[in-house]
Amino acid sequence: MKKIQILGTGCPKCKKLAENAEAAAKALGMEFELVKVTDLNEIMKFGVMMTPALAVDGQVKVVGKVPTSDALKDMLK
Amino acid sequence: MAECCGNKQPRKSESASCCGAKGGKTVLLYACSGGANVAEISDQAARELMFEGRGAMFCLAGLGADIQGMVQTARDADVNLLIDGCPMDCAKKTFDRHGITNYRQIKVTDLGIEKAKGVRCTRDQVDKVVAKAREILADEK
Repeated sequence: MKKIQILGTGCPKCKKLAENAEAAAKALGMEFELVKVTDLNEIMKFGVMMTPALAVDGQVKVVGKVPTSDALKDMLK
Repeated sequence: MAECCGNKQPRKSESASCCGAKGGKTVLLYACSGGANVAEISDQAARELMFEGRGAMFCLAGLGADIQGMVQTARDADVNLLIDGCPMDCAKKTFDRHGITNYRQIKVTDLGIEKAKGVRCTRDQVDKVVAKAREILADEK
């Protein structure tokens, strides 16, 4: 099972990224767990300077952007 | 520090924050981390640019240490401005090693400033670097 982490304290873009990532994961038919990391200290531990950010199994895939649906699918594969 | 628009609005100078760069470009600034005067000049120039709101300083050592999230942060920035101190090009080489190409470089010694140990930087030297950086960042708008 893949762990999808959405890094962000809850701004509209963070929510959008979470929604899009969830939709992309479902479209890929993958098993996943979606976790929202909202604590700034925890976010900082990823080395991320901007939010929203997306990590998959602990690997940061994108920072400060909400990627397109296709790009998200590539990141989740 | 990572901040988000769900929180209190970050200061203008802390431009790297939530939701990308709030409509503008995400500019990250990297200073030379050496011990000579050119490193002090580079660091002061980068801080001045940050407090002017032209970008956010970011950690070159983190990229050197292959901190994955920091490498990705640099990759996803619109512009990374590297202020190398001397022809050793440490910042540039760090970016090249990671295959990150969205950077512009300034080299302090290219601006007629001599590298020296045990010498403090001067105001006019910092001004020279800041002026060059402003010029480069103006091109990037």
